[in-house]
Amino acid sequence: MVDNSKHASSFRDPSGYIFTDEGIIKRAIFPIYFKQYKALKTTGFFENLFKNKLLIPHTELSANDDKIVIQPENIPFITYPYEWSFNMYKEAALLTLKLQKYSIEHGFSLKDATAFNVTFHEGKAIFIDTLSFDFYQENTPWRAYKQFITHFLGPLVLAHYHGAQPLKLMSNFIDGIPIKMIASMLPFKSKMSPFLYSNIHLLAKFEDKHNEDYRGEAKASTLSKKGQQNIIESLYDYIKKLTLKEHSEWGNYYNKTNYSDDAFIQKSTIINQWISNLNTETLIDVGGNDGTFVRKIDAKLKQALVCDIDNNAVDFNYKTIKEHKESFMTPFVLDVLNPSAAVGFQNAERDSFINRIKSFAPDVTLALAVIHHMSLSGNVTFDMSAKFFASFSSYLVIEFPKRNDSWVQRLLNNKVDFKDHFDFYNLENFEQSYATYFDVVEKISIQNSERVMYLLKTKDGN
Amino acid sequence: MHFLYFDPGLGAMLVQAVVAAVAAVVLFSKEFMFKVKAFFGISKNENDELFDDIEIKDQDIENKK
Repeated sequence: MVDNSKHASSFRDPSGYIFTDEGIIKRAIFPIYFKQYKALKTTGFFENLFKNKLLIPHTELSANDDKIVIQPENIPFITYPYEWSFNMYKEAALLTLKLQKYSIEHGFSLKDATAFNVTFHEGKAIFIDTLSFDFYQENTPWRAYKQFITHFLGPLVLAHYHGAQPLKLMSNFIDGIPIKMIASMLPFKSKMSPFLYSNIHLLAKFEDKHNEDYRGEAKASTLSKKGQQNIIESLYDYIKKLTLKEHSEWGNYYNKTNYSDDAFIQKSTIINQWISNLNTETLIDVGGNDGTFVRKIDAKLKQALVCDIDNNAVDFNYKTIKEHKESFMTPFVLDVLNPSAAVGFQNAERDSFINRIKSFAPDVTLALAVIHHMSLSGNVTFDMSAKFFASFSSYLVIEFPKRNDSWVQRLLNNKVDFKDHFDFYNLENFEQSYATYFDVVEKISIQNSERVMYLLKTKDGN
Repeated sequence: MHFLYFDPGLGAMLVQAVVAAVAAVVLFSKEFMFKVKAFFGISKNENDELFDDIEIKDQDIENKK
């Protein structure tokens, strides 16, 4: 890591930039933004947002005529919009609207509304772009309106009609999903809704008609403050009530697995014991469903990442976190077979999952009931998965379902004629491949099941 | 002063007048229906919702959590 270097994602806004100083994230502010910054500071605007846990708190490190440097509170692991579950996405959208309403009431306005201004920290959505607030100018429309629609309302409405998959489009359209595309993907009946018609279909038409603004007419349009407040509030009301057209059955997921109650308890006791023996503070549960096993850990964890491929499972976890007001867990959607890539200019604006997890370097990785999916559905060899798991944490708790396990049998039967190709899937081969990267610390078979638990330590770990 | 480092879109700026008018009608009718329902005593209890409302409280006075 190059010290004192400007962060690759921080070049759009001329108000300042983010840099890392000996691994610590800091933000420099230029004189062009001093007036705004000082007003936000002296009026207590920042302070109140900090207290409400809506904006990431910062401390001022230095201030002179050329530059003010602030240090925001550290967020251990950043998640991106394309990794959020439906309700996480909703919370991020509602947070942005809340901030805009509060801003207008206090003489400010959000100058941008990208979904990347928000991430999740201590169980809640939090706004991380401290320099997004500008002065509100009377009777001007919201400059970031289109951005809000293409970053938040659009993806959410698409998810409402088509399921959670469209939320993943954000990994490609990092400047928002094109409004014409959103409009074209909505069913005809959406035009009957005055709300959707005006905010999406009409917006798409207007944008199409005025797509060449050579004369800078955008500056000339007016909108009363009340008018803008109405837009913000109606967006808030609509998004708050929005649901996903996909019924979730994760509530009783664990009733459907092939675990007897005893085996389930034994499995969680083993995990609990290992985690506490290792004095674990940070972990990632890969394929962690709704966080059930992480919640059964007694040790005081500082940060647990729980990811799963299934948006519904992540969403269920997120709701539980909110209901219990848990602050140590960060859920997110991740496909281990296709983890989030690095995107943006120079492939450096938004970091890849692999890079983020390597710098987070959790004490322990949990891989419970995922190896058979990786091996049999994903055709990932034992050697490949071992190498993957060995690359970001020193300890691995992995559960191996043997060939006779009913899930394994089901996956194998799906292969039909190709089944012979998977003869390699057995305990001996698994142990042999993993021995290249790991030492076995402990191995326990779960009674009354076809599953074996391993505690492994990387060979180069300490 | 605005820093125009991204294009707000002329269409998007103009359309907001219409969007605001529609929003006013939607908000008004919602409030109207709320009052009608309240009158007949059929308003829903919204305490068990996942998300709170749009207002941000000024916590300057009450510093306690």
